[in-house]
Amino acid sequence: MALLPPAADWYEKKIAKDEKMWIVLSVLVCLIMFAWMIIWHVYGKQNPSSVTYRTTPREFSQLCDAFNKKYQVGEDQGIPVVMPPAGGDVFLMAQMWRWSPVLILKKDQWYNFHISSLDLLHGFSLQPTNMNFMVYPNYDYVLKFKPNAAGEYKVICNEFCGVGHHTMIGKIVVIESESELGKYGYSAQYINTSAPPGNEPPAAPLTEEELAAKGAELYKSKACNACHSVDGSKLVGPTWQGVYGSTEKVMADGSETEVQVNDEYIRESILTPNAKLVKDYPASMQPQVISEDEIKAITAYIKSLK
Amino acid sequence: MFRTCDITGFKVDLKAQTLIRVNAVFAVVSLLVAIACAILLVFTRWPQFHLLDAEWFYRVLTAHGLNALIFWIVFFEAAGLVFGSTVTLNARMAYPMGGWIATYLMIGGFLLTNIMVFQGFADVLFTSYVPLKAHPLYYLGIILFAVGALLMVAVFFGNLMVARKEKTYGESLPLFTYGLTAAAIIAVITLATGAIIYIPALLWSMGIIENLDPATYKVVWWGLGHSSQQINVCAMVAIWYLMSLLTVGGVSINEKVSRTGFALYVLFICIASAHHLLTDPVVSSPWKVWNTSYAMYAAVLASMIHAFAVPSSIEVAQRRKGLVNGMFQWLAKAPWGNPAFSSLVISVAGFGFIGGITGVIYGKEQINIIVHNTIAITGHFKGTVVIGTTLAFMGISYYLVPLIFRRKIVAFGLAKWQPWIFGIGIALVAVGMLSLGGYGVPRRHWDNSFSGGPFGHTFNPSIDLFWGIVGIGGVLAFLGALIWVLQMTITVFFGPKIKGPQDFQLALAAVPEAKKEHKGFEAPGTLTLTLFFMILLVVFFLLNMKWLAGAWEVQ
Repeated sequence: MALLPPAADWYEKKIAKDEKMWIVLSVLVCLIMFAWMIIWHVYGKQNPSSVTYRTTPREFSQLCDAFNKKYQVGEDQGIPVVMPPAGGDVFLMAQMWRWSPVLILKKDQWYNFHISSLDLLHGFSLQPTNMNFMVYPNYDYVLKFKPNAAGEYKVICNEFCGVGHHTMIGKIVVIESESELGKYGYSAQYINTSAPPGNEPPAAPLTEEELAAKGAELYKSKACNACHSVDGSKLVGPTWQGVYGSTEKVMADGSETEVQVNDEYIRESILTPNAKLVKDYPASMQPQVISEDEIKAITAYIKSLK
Repeated sequence: MFRTCDITGFKVDLKAQTLIRVNAVFAVVSLLVAIACAILLVFTRWPQFHLLDAEWFYRVLTAHGLNALIFWIVFFEAAGLVFGSTVTLNARMAYPMGGWIATYLMIGGFLLTNIMVFQGFADVLFTSYVPLKAHPLYYLGIILFAVGALLMVAVFFGNLMVARKEKTYGESLPLFTYGLTAAAIIAVITLATGAIIYIPALLWSMGIIENLDPATYKVVWWGLGHSSQQINVCAMVAIWYLMSLLTVGGVSINEKVSRTGFALYVLFICIASAHHLLTDPVVSSPWKVWNTSYAMYAAVLASMIHAFAVPSSIEVAQRRKGLVNGMFQWLAKAPWGNPAFSSLVISVAGFGFIGGITGVIYGKEQINIIVHNTIAITGHFKGTVVIGTTLAFMGISYYLVPLIFRRKIVAFGLAKWQPWIFGIGIALVAVGMLSLGGYGVPRRHWDNSFSGGPFGHTFNPSIDLFWGIVGIGGVLAFLGALIWVLQMTITVFFGPKIKGPQDFQLALAAVPEAKKEHKGFEAPGTLTLTLFFMILLVVFFLLNMKWLAGAWEVQ
């Protein structure tokens, strides 16, 4: 019994007939369930891939940029719309709080997805078909997908990634023929048909306007617009409108101080966002993957937002 | 210093008794924090109310997870470990100071962690996946708690050794303490894993370590996160056997089988931490298949063993009392008015039919694709940890609190209803969540209308109905838990003193004698119920296979 030592013959006691039947049945069910997972790998059509590559946020974002440039056919809500060729590689980038790009895929074609994150863990949750995979920074998860029905799908993030987690939603459109694209407001025309990268003439120094224009592009492609408005409205982070040159109350090491928003402060805020955090805003921004030139462009853009 | 219990006849070391009391009180406090958070979460996710803002939703969610899954349960288990290694063995507290250091560390960790969370320094949820970063003191709080708990486990083993040496019990440990020992072994693995991952996380948060690999963190963290719930399973099953004994005089029909079940838990249950990595990059399919199946379902087999052994112990005891008519007279004529008995039945049924079936099926590598991180997973562990473990702990308290605190349960009439209100409430929450998860609704998500996002998404409209079910169930469960918390708190501090056996409100069932040598089935009713369970398991398996086969092809 449960509170006293067992009867003297407890170890020799025969197992009752019904208990024995139950245990044998359970063992069988256990073995079948185990075998099923292996059998499904052979005959089933849905199996998680075992292919992972190491990467870095910088490398992966470069791969994504190149992929987007090559196959971009439009823009939706500031996110590039990309139509990759069937059977090819697809790069899907997760970052707070944006899936990029929007993808156009063909039904019944295989696509070699590369999915990685630039900052935190994210969850790739394809709806309404309801398939869910994890997305990590520093690891490129390679999953081959074959869409089985045309229509509009959403990619929602289902791994917590900060206070804007619920706004992280992307789109995949599956079509049978390109004539369906009009229905989604997209076209099949590739935007960048210019010379492949690498053959550009040596760049002359950009003017302040050109820099700001480049910054405006980065504002979208780096998903700054997920948290920062440019029209004065309050999102998760402070608006960029009129912020340059202003004096802001910030929290540094737990105490309140004031800073002048200048080139240096913007640079610091992009690279170490929580060092001097604007008061009353959450510490949810991650250090960004960005080059010095890009920082300059974004700074110029912020400067231009009077 | 011992007292001899005038109700049970056990010798109670007064030092152990004080330790049990303190840990039990903190368990109840943790549960109170957990359920206060829970009701806020229910009314936030229920789209009609959407109560908290996003920041507070995740903050309260972090606190709910920690207090419900770690603090409530581990404090209760700490009390249980001291109880099981002293009182039930007539043994003494081998090293009371150790017990106190452990308790103080745990209390310190509990306070520090909660302060950091509610101050907004750790909006990282229960899992705190790197590179999501919290304040160093948050990690320190958890480390203090884990070290305290580990020390308490050491104190438990010390007590067992001394009891064995001083021959306070017979040759073998009683089954209850044996089950707790299995839980304690699993706890060592779990808590050590916790230390292995939270110490680097602390250093990383302090800036001493620059990088912490997110995949390494997640693999090792689940060695704590999942395995800690396996301590609960083990402790809960031990309590099931104890409740069967106390309420109807039930005894395992074959102790060797029951003990084998516990041994299988120790050997195999921890590797199922892989459940959380089935749709992750980095780890490979053979790793996933082997580990998620607890090495060919050896730990599921253990649960199947207990699924038969616990109900059959009730059935055999009842049949010996003459309740032999038909298949289920033993169950119909059971002491349903005893809250520990109704808790036992609801806990076993909820753990098996809701938590168990979904756990086994969702934990299959491929089927996990259609449920991972959906709210169906939350529904699964409402079945295991809440109906199963929490209700079992609540039920046994109706016996242990009067015995250990020597107070009469106040408002005893409510006790009869409490397990039903709580159990049915959580069952509704679980079933609602399982259905929502089937439609892809994510867990840990503030707004499933995606307001503020670049695109919208509308789930199947029937999710409104299921959110309603979750909401109503949540309110019921909250009330059920609140009744228990208030009852226990008032009892412990203000309840009328127990002066003798006549003041003990529940019956202590005697073990009925076996009349004659038995031919045929020992427990035909139990066999019928377990076969019904198996049919449901297979049906649920086939359904999920069908849903999986309808998804995009992926490889």
